[in-house]
Amino acid sequence: MKNRLLSTVGAAILAAGIAASGQAKADGELNVLTWEGYTDPSFVEGFEAATGCKVTPTYVGSNDEFPAKLAGGGGIYDLVSPSIDTTSIMIKAGFVEPIDTSRLEHWSEVYPQFSGHDGINVDGEVYGVPYTWGAIPFMYRADAFETAPTSITQLWDDPALAGKISLWDDKTNLYITARMLYGNDADIYDLSDEQLAEVRDKLIELKPKIRKYWASAGELVNLYANGEVTISNTWGGYQSALLAEQGIEMVEFIPEENADGWADSWQIVKGTPNEDCAYQWLNYAISPEGQCGVVNITGYSGSNPTALETCKTPEEMAALHQDDFGYIDSLVLWQEPARIDAYINTWNAVKAAE
Amino acid sequence: MNHARRHKMGFWVLFSAPMLWWVTVLLVPYLIMLSISFYSRQFPFHVPDFQFGNYAILLQDSQYWTVLLRSVKVSILVSLAAFAMGYPLAYFLAFKVRSERLRLFLYVATIVPLWVSYLLRAYTWKTILGSEGILNSFLMWIGVLDEPSSLFLYNEFAMVVTMAYIFTPFMVMPIYASLEKIPRSLIEASKDLGAGRFSTFLRITLPLTMPGVLAGFTFTFGLSVGDFVSPLLVGGPYSNMISNVIATQFGMAMNWPLGAALGVVMLFIVLGVITASDKLERAGRLNLG
Repeated sequence: MKNRLLSTVGAAILAAGIAASGQAKADGELNVLTWEGYTDPSFVEGFEAATGCKVTPTYVGSNDEFPAKLAGGGGIYDLVSPSIDTTSIMIKAGFVEPIDTSRLEHWSEVYPQFSGHDGINVDGEVYGVPYTWGAIPFMYRADAFETAPTSITQLWDDPALAGKISLWDDKTNLYITARMLYGNDADIYDLSDEQLAEVRDKLIELKPKIRKYWASAGELVNLYANGEVTISNTWGGYQSALLAEQGIEMVEFIPEENADGWADSWQIVKGTPNEDCAYQWLNYAISPEGQCGVVNITGYSGSNPTALETCKTPEEMAALHQDDFGYIDSLVLWQEPARIDAYINTWNAVKAAE
Repeated sequence: MNHARRHKMGFWVLFSAPMLWWVTVLLVPYLIMLSISFYSRQFPFHVPDFQFGNYAILLQDSQYWTVLLRSVKVSILVSLAAFAMGYPLAYFLAFKVRSERLRLFLYVATIVPLWVSYLLRAYTWKTILGSEGILNSFLMWIGVLDEPSSLFLYNEFAMVVTMAYIFTPFMVMPIYASLEKIPRSLIEASKDLGAGRFSTFLRITLPLTMPGVLAGFTFTFGLSVGDFVSPLLVGGPYSNMISNVIATQFGMAMNWPLGAALGVVMLFIVLGVITASDKLERAGRLNLG
């Protein structure tokens, strides 16, 4: 009884807080560097109407673009949303500033595994607000396979897949290839030079069967829709849903080599002139409106389960693994590789090879 | 104020703006690029330095040679294809079309695609060359193919076709200009002296248009060797060109020193091509006396 009273009072205070912050209109602009779907008009329009902050997105196709765009005179951006393996690079490079979490009403509801993650916590300061998470599974066209593929070794071994494969143009291809070569428990974030060379050669061996490396969600969707490819890795939940809208049935699967796990966080670019709007957005991003908005559009899982309960049935929560946080531990969560230059160079060597 | 001084002042009034422009947007950036190419990469950025390590990497790591050779090869193929299409077109315009109006119309029709966005035109080739594209549908309709071929898109062929289409106007324009300048009396004289049409073309027309041909080759080669859009749109896994690698070094690898070193190498390649075509053109001029 006492608890219920407390939570009611708490909710009332919270509601008053939201109302107050809503009234304090912070007219301004937010230039955000982010992934496709993260600032979809379907839920950003409500934010813009409530706060007067206009959101203008620029999209990236890989995590490496976040530090690169900010290094190349990225002063125009106010917010970025890198994954947990890149947030730490942004902090070390001095691109982002600490976040005052006391200004975030829903901060305490965020999964502690994410809010307390090393990737966004440095020297007692918090540098990121977790937004979404998920897996990098593989997917295939349901009408193109009689028996479901179960392992990525089939990409190499099955001659019928020649010219029908697409892979993400990203260094993360090294991770799953390393697991295929050295087992699922291998330390894929600290591979030796010899191992990187083997992974490189293995990926070069696959090149004749690759139709195209995809660099954006839209590009991969078009490759499937135009009948160019039948199997690829994917941002789990997102592209398969976009294809379903076009009447193309996709099946996502986690291969025997397991799948990478990822978690994206919003970070504030150091020296932004639009700090008020930035905090308004951080608040919104983990509020019920923001969480339900982004999860509905992308099909990813959200960082605030309490917020998602307001719009998702228990069945939907289970499908998103929101009720079972252990799921993320079963994936191989991205982290900053010990020698990122060597990893990027290895992936570039794969792409350059004849 | 004497005449000489006034003359000098006039010179500066007229040329200071273009010179300032040249210095600030061309010379200074080149010098910055040159100096960054000697810096050292140090995570997460780079530090000022003077060392040749970046150039050593370019020499040692075969990935850069592979891509450089591919870029040169593709650019030569694009230039040859543009020449094969552009020369007959220019010849037709200059010599065969009698009506001044029709000639103007055809000339404008040749160069008007340059006003359409490059991206849009490259995308269009995607819909033509794709597995379910116009070309495959047509070939299946007339019975040449039983099932769609994947040989047309996402490879070097698609890149050469797309770039040749986009850069052909740059071949047509200088060749047309040099064809137009040929006095018709020279052609008539050649015929009067008993030379056939083919011989007249080979010994009179073609040599006289060599400056235009060289200019066309220089344009198309320079534009293709620096292109990085067509590899992304219509190229496949084996289509990375040198500009993509430079963009990657400045982008995701955040290795500006290495990217700058590649930029310097590119600059010298293009300068070499321009110098060579200039030398050839001068040599040609001497031969004609």
